[in-house]
Amino acid sequence: MDIHPSATPAERPSRRGFLALAAATGATAALGGLPAFTASAAPLRPTVSPLLPAADAARNQLWWQAPGAAGSMIGQGLPVGNGRLGALTGNDPAAELLVVTDATLWTGGLNDTLQDDGQFPYGRDDFGSLTLLAQLTVAVPDHDLGAVNNYRRVLDMAQGVVTTTYEIGGARYQRQIFASRPDDAVVLHFSQRGGGSYTGTVSLAGTHGETTTADGAARLASFGAALGNGLKYGAAVTATSSSGKVAVHGTTLSFTGCQDLTVVLSGGTDYAPDAAAGFRDPSVDPEALAGTKVRDAARHSATALLHTHVADFLAVFGQFDISLGQSSPAQRALDTWQRVQARYRDDVPDPELEAAYLQYGRYLMISGSRGSLPMGLQGVWLDGNDPDWMGDYHTDINIQMNYWMADRAGLSGGFDAFADYCLAQLPCWTDTTRRLFNSPANRYRNSSGKIAGWTVAISTNPYGGGGWWWHPAGNAWLCHNLFEHYEYTQDRDYLAKVYPLIKGAVEFWEARLITTTVTDASGAAREVLIADSDWSPEQGPLDAKGITYAQELVWNLFGHYRTATQALGRDTAHGAAVEALRDRLYLPVVSPTTGWLEEWMSPDNLGETTHRHLSPLFGLFPGDRIRPDDSTPKDILAGATALLTARGMNSFGWANAWRSLCWARLKDAEKAYRLVVTNLRPSADGSNGSAMNLFDIYQVDKGRGIFQIDANFGTPSAIVEMLVYSRPGHVELLPALPAAWAAAGSVSGVGVRGGFVADLAWRDGKVTQATLRSVGGRTTTLAAGGTSRRVDLKPGESVTLRHLS
Amino acid sequence: MWSSPYPAPRAGALRRSVRALLVLAVTAGLATGVPAAGGAGAATPAPASTDGSTAATPYMGWSSWSMQSSQYPGLNPNGSYSYLTEANVLKQTDALASKLKQYGYTYVNIDAGWWMDQAWTPGYDQYGRQRPDPVRFPHGMKPVADHIHAKGLKAGIYLPVGLEKGAYGDGKVPILGAPGCTTADAVYPDLRTTNGWDSAYKLDFDNPCAQGYIDSQAQALAGWGYDFLKLDGVGPGSGKSGSNYDNVADVAAWQRAIAATGRPLHLEVSWSLDIGHAADWRRYSDGWRIDTDVECYCNTLVTWENSVNDRWNDAPAWSGKAGPGGWNDLDAVDVGNGAMDGLTKAERQSYMTLWAIEKSPLFTGDDLTALDDYGVSLLTDREVIAVDQNTSPVARPVTPVGDQQVWATRNADGSSTVALFNLAGAPASVTADWAALGFTGGASVRDLWNKQDLGTYKDRITEALPAHGSRLFTVKPAGRPLATTGYEAESAANTLGGNASTAACDACSGGAKVGNLYGGGTLRFNNVTVKKAGIYTVKVRYVSGDPRAVTVSSNSGNGTSLPFPSTGDWSTPQDVSVQLALKAGANTITFDSGADGYAPDIDRIDVPQTL
Repeated sequence: MDIHPSATPAERPSRRGFLALAAATGATAALGGLPAFTASAAPLRPTVSPLLPAADAARNQLWWQAPGAAGSMIGQGLPVGNGRLGALTGNDPAAELLVVTDATLWTGGLNDTLQDDGQFPYGRDDFGSLTLLAQLTVAVPDHDLGAVNNYRRVLDMAQGVVTTTYEIGGARYQRQIFASRPDDAVVLHFSQRGGGSYTGTVSLAGTHGETTTADGAARLASFGAALGNGLKYGAAVTATSSSGKVAVHGTTLSFTGCQDLTVVLSGGTDYAPDAAAGFRDPSVDPEALAGTKVRDAARHSATALLHTHVADFLAVFGQFDISLGQSSPAQRALDTWQRVQARYRDDVPDPELEAAYLQYGRYLMISGSRGSLPMGLQGVWLDGNDPDWMGDYHTDINIQMNYWMADRAGLSGGFDAFADYCLAQLPCWTDTTRRLFNSPANRYRNSSGKIAGWTVAISTNPYGGGGWWWHPAGNAWLCHNLFEHYEYTQDRDYLAKVYPLIKGAVEFWEARLITTTVTDASGAAREVLIADSDWSPEQGPLDAKGITYAQELVWNLFGHYRTATQALGRDTAHGAAVEALRDRLYLPVVSPTTGWLEEWMSPDNLGETTHRHLSPLFGLFPGDRIRPDDSTPKDILAGATALLTARGMNSFGWANAWRSLCWARLKDAEKAYRLVVTNLRPSADGSNGSAMNLFDIYQVDKGRGIFQIDANFGTPSAIVEMLVYSRPGHVELLPALPAAWAAAGSVSGVGVRGGFVADLAWRDGKVTQATLRSVGGRTTTLAAGGTSRRVDLKPGESVTLRHLS
Repeated sequence: MWSSPYPAPRAGALRRSVRALLVLAVTAGLATGVPAAGGAGAATPAPASTDGSTAATPYMGWSSWSMQSSQYPGLNPNGSYSYLTEANVLKQTDALASKLKQYGYTYVNIDAGWWMDQAWTPGYDQYGRQRPDPVRFPHGMKPVADHIHAKGLKAGIYLPVGLEKGAYGDGKVPILGAPGCTTADAVYPDLRTTNGWDSAYKLDFDNPCAQGYIDSQAQALAGWGYDFLKLDGVGPGSGKSGSNYDNVADVAAWQRAIAATGRPLHLEVSWSLDIGHAADWRRYSDGWRIDTDVECYCNTLVTWENSVNDRWNDAPAWSGKAGPGGWNDLDAVDVGNGAMDGLTKAERQSYMTLWAIEKSPLFTGDDLTALDDYGVSLLTDREVIAVDQNTSPVARPVTPVGDQQVWATRNADGSSTVALFNLAGAPASVTADWAALGFTGGASVRDLWNKQDLGTYKDRITEALPAHGSRLFTVKPAGRPLATTGYEAESAANTLGGNASTAACDACSGGAKVGNLYGGGTLRFNNVTVKKAGIYTVKVRYVSGDPRAVTVSSNSGNGTSLPFPSTGDWSTPQDVSVQLALKAGANTITFDSGADGYAPDIDRIDVPQTL
């Protein structure tokens, strides 16, 4: 192994351009930004075009040869988003349809009047639901699809633009749609070559019965209203053309004989991530603000708006790059949906498609989670006001899975939405826990009678409220993500920020743990600490003590707390005390009956063998306690492997992603890969798999599938985990590289726990070059191809290694 | 399923009420009917005339039934089916003459009910023949035909097969031109009933009085000057089977009767005719309805689901049956007015496209006085009409028949007529691979509906189709014929699994096929060899008497499972092409019925030698 240290960050051509660009344009690569829908400073606009050359852009483009159906937007609409506003776009030439969601447009509230059983109501009025903001239609009646040739729509993932092109007669038409964070608006730009024109209408409609009004002088249509919970919201649209006529007719905007047309939409709510303010910003008039934003944006040319957006988006997207190998000319000739179908039909690896699937997850995260609320079950893409499970935050795997990807795949800043959310909710979560958790009606109450800290319900909303049942270990689950982000970044300021969350969770468990006596295999009895009555998500007995899920999570939480107290120099004595408690925690054994790592403190299988959740395997992934090396007792490793095997290879999308992550940890590359491929199978009639737009579909009933975004993030995490494993102090390259990707590939911008970012390339299954750059980390071992080596770097330094094996 | 005048039970208040009326009418007929002994005598079949002189090409025109059968507001103000009147027929005649005649639409066809009063009670003359209703047709049927002829058009009329119960009288009703014959002589003594509604007594052609009765009906129609007869309720078909409903002899008798009149009269039989008797229909008639009514009996003329879209499934079986002298009749083409038709623009175009490539008669049931611009454009597209009327064979699907389908036929000049269909309820892209048409390389594409030359496309064309949409192209090869390597299903090199077995098949290549692919039966071609890895268009020659699905896969792939269209019977092979990835060297290609499935029989596959 050769080491080539360098004092400056290694040159990574693929990323250097983006970063230079970001600096030149004033755009920031950080994901954080707008806290909510508020007045924003005038965007800095690039002075040179940031657009990628066509050949470069093509690497990260998905494309289709048919538009989406108005009735099937969730599976066929192409998503755009500016981190808070999300839209599904249909791209029908004759009727461009945008179904628009604002991440904060939630019904419901604190929801702290519990049911007779001490659990949370879970309805759309009490707990609440994410809902749609608006529907925008740009009708061009003469552009009937039946008369259109060479139709194509392209999702440019790197630049964040949906482009539709088609021909009618001799004219070639193009429309571009993007959701700009700098301009806080969704922009539609219609153009043509060859004598074409646009005549039609722009219609803005609410989805809660709002009345749209139009301002003729401003050529602007808008609406504003308030939900039953008092949340105010509004949206506005305007249209401009340099060539034809734009006018107001009734409540719609009409355009006639336009060779070009630009439509700008904005909207939002008066939501504020501030429990003390009741989660409202009284200074915001959403309808008026939306009007101001679209008027401001529309003063600029469509090109200026596009360049501003692309500069912003590309800077983030470009932080990570991946190649899993080359696909065949035949595969490249297929559009994305044909390719998904061919992948399933032929069982021939399609490395470019598989890499694109990862990038699509990144595209969704950049589009759906910047500066506002985090993404729940569907991100910011709904097709109705009754999303399954409210489109909420499920704290027993789903939201955690969403954010596993952020640091791994070069979107470290994307994690802020998750952390900021937890922080904003903490006052309510703490108050609710202290007042209500120990209600005698709550079967999960602390039998000790003590209460401290905070926890959550299985579902959470953005108003501090919980839904469905109490979820005692949910706090530790959330804290796992929160702490891992610190491991990736080594950012002490961040750690200090989230420290109250971690500490509060620890305090909750200090009050909750109970003692019991167990008999070891040797026959010796010992007293251990176990979790009080709980439910292993989402199966088996409702009142089981010491479930593996809780034991592993608390073990993990306590360890992280100890590290945090040391890193911050706070509560060190308490940290040591908690470490001592950790040592007394019961940890699962292998059932002599099943040979599996026990899920409950029982040798019996008390649930479904192939249940979707892998709760008892937390220690394998995302935890690190169970490792395929000498640190883990062989029987525990074998029991975990047997349990994972028993859970099967065919489940819902997110469950497959989790399985894949676990197999990657066990270095079973082919199983991990097979599960990735399984999530790529085309969904038909609601079956599990990928929809036409690559949204992951979860089959709830025969013939009814719903969009659940977690697999779109969990599967990319699995792909990264197959390429790079890390924990603080240790990195392993290509731990689980499947044959399908072995020929040649590269990845750059991979987050490494311990405070590094890794780039690597491989050929014939072997690492040919790797670069480790410190973003705060100092020392780690780096393993590849059976050899291992210690690397020491100062923050900002990088090292490039060649000939690693 | 059925056609006029006796709608069979489908959901809907109208149909129920009409049936009630019919029961009354039938009861009245029976009350006076006393079976009488009939004379016997062997009828000698007349020599078939299949010279095609009356149906060299599929006929074109207008029919009254779609408007009669609809509850569209205002069409039938005086009760169900009341649209059919002299005034309305003449109005439509004039509209046909002025708007559509120049495009080839010539027939004005009066459908069921011309002898029924507004309560649907039939009237008969003293010879037991249907008598024009004096309210509907106050001047009788001849002046109507005269008016039609005066416009340069042809007149069509309608009758149910058999001796209608109401015409039987007491069995003593004399038959005109058949001395000594009465209605009792024409039918069986046991008054066995026939036709799709059991509304008639079956004619007994052992007694020449039966032929006499038909002759008398034909004489009346010819005497009035009619040029076309739709004979309805014909079996086997019309939802009926069994000897009582075998009306082949009736149709043959009609052919003789028509010949005897000396007036050329196009004979069209209806409905859902049994394909097993296709040769009979071809021998004795000029066209046959292959399917149920296209009408929905609802607030529009038709709906997509009920039952326009049935035709995509049902037409392929008949593709080999049509030609000059007799055509597969897909029923009325109601595309002229979107609101009245109850269809989207895309559906209307697809409707017209299928009818054209299937060479169905093109008769519209629309209100010709209220065609919309789009409807006129569909009905008057000369290039599309030419597809219907030209000499090319009836098109067949060249792909399996999932939601997205490609149909094609080879034209005399070497070009292909290619239709893309998207039968799904959402937009989808559809690709026609030139390899499925038998050639490779470039081809020039003419877009018929959009009247545009699209230029040259290499290897394939893909277009975005709206829900239920279509495209229609003429594809002219500029490349090379496709060189393929054939693999016979019955080859000993293959592996059969489950029930699969080899069977003789005269029309199959090698004289054999592999069948019994059901209940987990599999056929695996081993050592399918190509030089270069890629996705190949593999042509499958197969036999299937009904549409059947099979999973086709290569190597370890999951394959695709889609129905193959019917080939019409279990001895006629046809082709569809599927896309499969093959690697360089040896591959397997597997046909799997699935555990619970029934798959087509497989004759052979042809694999392109190059990509």
